[in-house]
Parts: sequence; structure tokens; C-alpha cells
Amino acid sequence: MNSTNLETILEGRRSQPHQLIEVLQDVQDVYGYIPKDVMGIVAKELGVPLMEVFRVAKFYKAFTLKPRGKNVITICTGTACHVRGSQLLIDQVQGQLRLKPGDTTKDGLFTVECVNCVGACALGPVVVQNGSYSNHMTPGKLRRAIDKVQGKKKEESPHA
Amino acid sequence: MIEEVTLTIDDVLVKAVKGISVLDAAVKSGICIPHLCHVPFLSDIGACRLCIVENVNNGKAKITTSCTLRVQEGMVIRANSEKVLKLRKNIAELLVAHAPNSRAIQDIAVRCGLKEVRYPFHNANCVLCGRCVRYCSEMWQGNAIGFVGRGKDRHVEYPFGKRPDTCKKCNSCVLYCPMSVTPCGEVMKTGEEHLCGKCDSQMAMAEKIPGACVWCETGKSFQCARYA
Ligand code: FES
Ligand code: FES
Repeated sequence: MNSTNLETILEGRRSQPHQLIEVLQDVQDVYGYIPKDVMGIVAKELGVPLMEVFRVAKFYKAFTLKPRGKNVITICTGTACHVRGSQLLIDQVQGQLRLKPGDTTKDGLFTVECVNCVGACALGPVVVQNGSYSNHMTPGKLRRAIDKVQGKKKEESPHA
Repeated sequence: MIEEVTLTIDDVLVKAVKGISVLDAAVKSGICIPHLCHVPFLSDIGACRLCIVENVNNGKAKITTSCTLRVQEGMVIRANSEKVLKLRKNIAELLVAHAPNSRAIQDIAVRCGLKEVRYPFHNANCVLCGRCVRYCSEMWQGNAIGFVGRGKDRHVEYPFGKRPDTCKKCNSCVLYCPMSVTPCGEVMKTGEEHLCGKCDSQMAMAEKIPGACVWCETGKSFQCARYA
């Protein structure tokens, strides 16, 4: 763990409880998640009770307390995307990566998450991969995207 | 200097110190408003909604929680109008249905004149009144417990699920929890929850003489032999 990183995040913000969310956002950016011991340090340095830090971190969906994979796949399960078949996308990743939404693969390559609406309902179903948005997703497109990251070549089926 | 304001609660002129809540003013002058999450000398968060009143302004009545409403000069409050009583009864009904295993909550139901529960019972052990949380942080600066999660996942928890060093083991969280007052008779098992009804006489009174005192000690709402 990099304490100099934390040092830069906290600089100029010590003893300012109102900076809590900004600090947590920066921590999330740097570490990819919010580690437990960092929360303790943040609480001490900002002068906020640990309970408060924990509460805030648990409250917002943008903060994760578990380490995340290299590639974060976010599937929108909002109303519009749901009726356009986001469940199929979830089934697809579940089958392909063998994990439930919210989990990370063992090799730390993928994390799959569900969100309630990304605000692009007309383009649904929407999938966000590492911050880049893909519209009108289909299970096929999603499978290819995952294959690409895994470095698998498309296997030509002999009967095609 | 202490400033005083005059307001009307249920057609009675009431004098109150500026800055206190309508609930406090009413209870101080002997007007009973049932309440659960309010604890004297702690901040109010309006979690239980039992203390609702009508705030009449320019002929328009607005329903709000009286514990979070500050007194103002010339305010007109209706604490026991038909509408308020009906709503309050419904809130009490939801509370008992959610967590029937507490004498405090059963007493509140009686006080609000509830005789039948139309909702399915859950044997929950927390009504999210936040009494423990506020007592811990405001009284003892303990900050050992707090609300975690949101929506239907909201619950009270230690940070990381472990008792922190800041906990003074004062036990106030248990003492101030309405769920720690066990029902008379025995604790109800899942599947056999019901509206207590052991205080039949009180219930009959609540029906025959509506608004009669059920010895809740002016809005304390439950007789748990402890202050607050
Ligand atoms: S429902 Fe998916 S973007 Fe709104
Ligand atoms: S909402 Fe006022 S006492 Fe609970």
C-alpha cells in the first residue's frame, strides 16, 4: 500500500470533516476501492468518527469496500434497460465468467456490477466498461467484448 | 434573555420558550402527543412519524412531525384532529405489524386506539427509530453504532461489524431501545405475532372515551419505568 498517495490526498484537507466525500472519492480513484485501514486513517486525519466514514462509504453506490478487478463491467438494470433485456446480459456474464453481479473473478480481471440507471435510457440496454459506454448491447456483443479482454481468439466453428 | 412565544395547540393557548419543538411545548403543557423516536435532550430526526400534527397556516393545514417543528409566535396546531388521529393510528399499525415483540410498541398501539392489524406481521427486531444511535453519539460521543445502508437494507451496525474502541460499554443503546421492553406475558414467536390485547381495559377505554389517558405519562407513550 502506498502511503505517499494517501499523503497527497490528505494534504491541505486535514481536520476538515466536510471534505470527507471528496477524500473518499480520491481514495477510490487511487486504490480502486476503499481499504479498511485507509478508512481508519481518513477518519483520524479529518477528525470524523470512524462510524461516519463507514456509513458514508456504505451509503453511496460509487464507493466499494471490496477490491475490484482490472475491468469493471457495469450493466444497467434500470427500468428501460430491463425491458430491453438487460437480464440476458446478466445471464451472459454469469455464464461466461461464473460470478454473480457485485463479485470479482478469481484472477482479478473482471468485476461485474449492476446499476439502476445510467441516464441513457433511449440507448438501452447500456453496458459501461471501464467508463466507456456501449449502447444497444446484446449478449453476443458482450461475449465478444469479454473475450477480447481475455485475449481469446474467436474460435472458428467447423460447421459455420 | 429568554424569549417566549404563544401558540395554539388544540384550541389551547400555550406559552413556550422560543426555539423548542412543538412536541416539547405540548408535552410540557400537558397535551399528549404520542411519540417514539424523540428523546429529551437529544436531537430529533423525525424517524417514527408518530408525533404528527396539523400545522394550520392561512387556513391550510399541513401535516408534519411535531418533534422537528419549532414553535413560532401565533402558530395554530391541531394535535388531535380526526385526520391526525387516523393517520397516527395507521402509523402505529405499521409499527406493530413490523415489530410486535415489544411492550413499548404494543403500548403505543393501544394509545393510538388500534384494535386490529391489517398488515402481515414481521418479527423484526428494529424499527429504525435511531434512539440508540443518537444516544451513543450525542450523549457519550461514542459513535460506536450508526445507520448503515439505505432503503430496505438500512440497519444499525458497528463500523465493520466490530465493536470499536470508542464504545464505552455503557449499555445505553440497549436501555434506550424500545425493542428491549419485552411484551407482558411471553415473547412472541414467529408466526404467532398478534396485537397484545392484554390491556383490554385500556383498549376499551381508548374506544369509549377517545383520547382518554392510558397512563402513558403525557406522550412518553410507553410505560417502561424509565425516563425518556
Ligand atoms: S434504464 Fe438503463 S440507462 Fe436508464
Ligand atoms: S417523529 Fe417525532 S417523535 Fe418520532
